Amino acid sequence: MQFIIAFILAIVLMAADHYGQILGSVRSALLTTLTPIERAATFPQHIYHLITTDFTSINALERENQQLKTEILLLKAQQQQLVNLELQVERLESLLGTTGKITNQTVQIATITFYSSNPLSQFLTLNKGSLDKVKKQQTVIDSLGIMGQIIDLTPTTSRVLLLTDPDHQIPVRIQRTGQRGILNGTGHDHAQLGFIPVNSEIKVGDMLESSGLGGIFPAGYPVARITQIETQGDNPYFKITATPIAKLNQSHRVLIINREEAEDWRNDFDFDLDFNLKTDETEPAGNTQ
Amino acid sequence: MTESFVNIRSSQVRWLILITYLVGLIIDSMVLLYSSLEFLPPMTLIAVLYWSGHFLDRTYFVSAFLLGVLADTLYQTTLGAHALLYCLILFMMVRNRLQFRTYPTWQQAFIIGIYLLIYQALNTVFFSPVLDDGSFVPYWSMPAVGILIWPVLSTLLNKITQNHP
Repeated sequence: MQFIIAFILAIVLMAADHYGQILGSVRSALLTTLTPIERAATFPQHIYHLITTDFTSINALERENQQLKTEILLLKAQQQQLVNLELQVERLESLLGTTGKITNQTVQIATITFYSSNPLSQFLTLNKGSLDKVKKQQTVIDSLGIMGQIIDLTPTTSRVLLLTDPDHQIPVRIQRTGQRGILNGTGHDHAQLGFIPVNSEIKVGDMLESSGLGGIFPAGYPVARITQIETQGDNPYFKITATPIAKLNQSHRVLIINREEAEDWRNDFDFDLDFNLKTDETEPAGNTQ
Repeated sequence: MTESFVNIRSSQVRWLILITYLVGLIIDSMVLLYSSLEFLPPMTLIAVLYWSGHFLDRTYFVSAFLLGVLADTLYQTTLGAHALLYCLILFMMVRNRLQFRTYPTWQQAFIIGIYLLIYQALNTVFFSPVLDDGSFVPYWSMPAVGILIWPVLSTLLNKITQNHP
């Protein structure tokens, strides 16, 4: 009898979780329960880091410090160029009479406290949660590109579904040609680009960036690089494999993009970005004004 | 299995049972963190199977269901999916536990291996895990590792339970 009750309850739970959003708070509560267990699981790793850090020589730290200072200098120089570019874009926008503008986004820095790369799921846990005003579906990036999106929250932590998780999809466009497609995670640090017809101009090494369609991810962020292109018999679409740009397994600190700011930025900027990419398309940009 | 062990009621070792569940959850979390541990079986399931096989006063379906739901949260799978798998495997165990208790440890280990193989097969059907060259062998060798773990685990827990005041 107990088995039948548990069986029915499990089926109901699965249906409720799959077809509705009502169990979001239940999952968050369960995740909160698991947070100390996840912390305990990382304990051996912390011990290892503690031991190895203690043995790091002062010379190595000085070298790292020097390297970081050089990196900051280079980034500051690049930022100066970006300020010039921003002004140029603003001038061009005023000439075109468009309302788009680049706004500085606010981001939150978070540390990765737990991760999973097993065959069932690929996710990260960050040390920022709902108390830090983190919200579901916010985009998470590292210094190189998009890593994934926040799917679950607890008061002090958040869970990020990685681009490579089989349940993850992100609308992208090929940076070189502007062609749009959907990037699906396939597990094990790879993803597959779908809906690219065999007559498309595409090559290995092409960069994929977020297109901003769907309203979840902001447009224009690097996502992945194409590593393999195959044709499959009579299938009208290519089978394209891509590798994420972001260091999904090596990053320690990541950035959570503020969603409201990102949306404003996308709404404003996507129009002009589309305009630039659509210069040789039939639909004039003015129609959207 | 000794007589003194059989005469203990599960309520007398409630804290020990909870500790094994907690340790099981921590080990299951470690398997997610370290891909080199992918060959380890779900320790929470092993713990439930152990306690249900050794105490006849309870069936442990509530424990299996709750641990399954926690496993779903841990693995980021549909809530209830692992709960269903845990309850199914436990049902097989409960149906045969009277016989199971009479077997020597090595024979019990092989039966646990069969349960884990069924669990892994159902896992494959339910979740379609992505198995590349590096994870295919660890994934399917999990039941064999379960066979090796069972004698050690059951001997250890038998001893702790017998010495429990």
